[in-house]
Amino acid sequence: MSILTLIRGTIRELLSKATLYVLLGISTLVLLGTLVAISAQQTNEGIVLHLFGLPISTPAQPEELMPSVYNMQAGLARGLFVGIMLFGVFATASLIPDSLEKGIVDLYLSKPLARWELLAGRSLGGVCAIGAVTVYFIAGVWLTFGIRAGVWNVHFLLSSITMTLMFAVIGSMLAVLGVIFRNAAVPIIGCFLYLMVVDNLLDSRQTVLYMLSENPLYRTACDVFSYALPQVSSMQRELSNQILQRPVAWQAFLQPILSAFGLFGVAAFIMHRKDF
Amino acid sequence: MKYPKPEADSTTVHAILTHSLTKIYKDAFNRHPSVTALRDVSLEVRQGEIFGLLGPNGAGKTTFVKILLGFVRQSAGRAMLLGVPLPNVEVRTRIGYLPEAHRYPSYLTPVEVLMLFGGLSKMPRAAIASRISTLLPLVGLEQWKGMKVRRFSKGMLQRLGLAQALINDPPLLFLDEPTDGVDPVGRKEVRDLLVRLKHEGKTIFLNSHLLSEVEMISDRVAILDKGTILKVGTVEELTRRSNLYDIGVAGEVPEAFHHEAAANVLAFRMNGNVMTAEVKDVQELNRFVDTLRKHGVLITYLAQRKSSLEESFLALLKREMAP
Repeated sequence: MSILTLIRGTIRELLSKATLYVLLGISTLVLLGTLVAISAQQTNEGIVLHLFGLPISTPAQPEELMPSVYNMQAGLARGLFVGIMLFGVFATASLIPDSLEKGIVDLYLSKPLARWELLAGRSLGGVCAIGAVTVYFIAGVWLTFGIRAGVWNVHFLLSSITMTLMFAVIGSMLAVLGVIFRNAAVPIIGCFLYLMVVDNLLDSRQTVLYMLSENPLYRTACDVFSYALPQVSSMQRELSNQILQRPVAWQAFLQPILSAFGLFGVAAFIMHRKDF
Repeated sequence: MKYPKPEADSTTVHAILTHSLTKIYKDAFNRHPSVTALRDVSLEVRQGEIFGLLGPNGAGKTTFVKILLGFVRQSAGRAMLLGVPLPNVEVRTRIGYLPEAHRYPSYLTPVEVLMLFGGLSKMPRAAIASRISTLLPLVGLEQWKGMKVRRFSKGMLQRLGLAQALINDPPLLFLDEPTDGVDPVGRKEVRDLLVRLKHEGKTIFLNSHLLSEVEMISDRVAILDKGTILKVGTVEELTRRSNLYDIGVAGEVPEAFHHEAAANVLAFRMNGNVMTAEVKDVQELNRFVDTLRKHGVLITYLAQRKSSLEESFLALLKREMAP
């Protein structure tokens, strides 16, 4: 019950800031843009998809249109994934450091709340808020494509849950950095660096990092980091497969989830050892 | 590191019980020398009393409270709150705490703040709502209940802090500078509230620099300096000065008395109709009174002089600092 109160309180805190509204505003603008841009015209030969009034497909039956729509949705999801991750990190990075500030942490810890619960409540509050924006956007796009093109891709709708899960994985990284450095700047920089550089390097370690040295110790270190840290790139690939209704390797989600639990465990341990 | 835990105590006569509580702050990288914030602090706070912890800045008062509340881990020793050995998270459902520098979410109203912290105290929503309707008038914030906390003055925040500490109707309250920033009228109201809570059976652990306030409402007081308890006792015990007596006299004191007193090495001074005598013991006091009566001086009252808590506190610290 304490965790639920904390989650509610965290969402309320995020709602008091402009960042979440900016994210909602951008999502709404993109949604409206999609609504205006996408249209379908019924011809004698079949349905033709239009983008900003220009035909982008040959006349086809609804089921033949599906691959084109799925591809568009996958493309949108990839863009949204990057946007959600970066904006989500920016919006929620301060949640844990703020709650550890003098005068605030005292109030929280004087309540019957274990330290890991404080971390979990704050992290989950952030995940819920970002998840709500993701669901809002994805559901809007799904409705647009359903209404405009007659394609109701449930897998695209479900990808909002997958994306929220992926943000939760990044949330564990924010938790560790937030507890260690107790400020928002380092978690933001750290997560941006990880998402944009480190994760890609580790993902392509056999073709990039291995080339730098043949030292077995170095290569083992690359492997250890790759398996210990959440493999976001592989999750992203499977997200596309999910939307395109291709076979999904669900084990690709297992490693990041386990890694997230590991990182959260580290954060909880550090938090447990700290004096406030 | 594992700490020895006290045996579970079935007799919860003591709201707070500590034994040889020690805290040494160590620098992980050995850049700075270790600091001993608390050294073998053993303290008993009985249920239903107002207990004041006094000490200069850096004495270890806050560290002591933080250990009891689980913010800081002790290096050695053990402690119990309400009969429950620490560390224990659940015991905090029965504790209220007002920190010295508290910061409430500025975007919330007092009602929302209390809903948040009531929820964190594991209270049902209906119980929180009912408690809020009692607490806001009690701390004088009823008319401001719809205002955002960011617009509150320091005194109003302090009142909100008190309400927050009381939200779960705890039997044990830790208050750090409860009247900080509150105007004199408000201070009186806070003092009255604390006395009322005491009469309701609550234990109040007071951490304050305002010695006069502590003196007014505390049953017992402990003086802490450099991490060590110097003295524990009732306010009465700490403020009694056995060798000074005020003697009310009616009319003029004859010159002959002054001569005889000087001859008998009796030290005194006059201030209007009050004579303050400094005596070694009760025998000397009686000798002093006999001398007065011998010279026909009418005694209207005799009272043992008490120093204020502040005077006692400063005297005690001075003695400790003396080589």
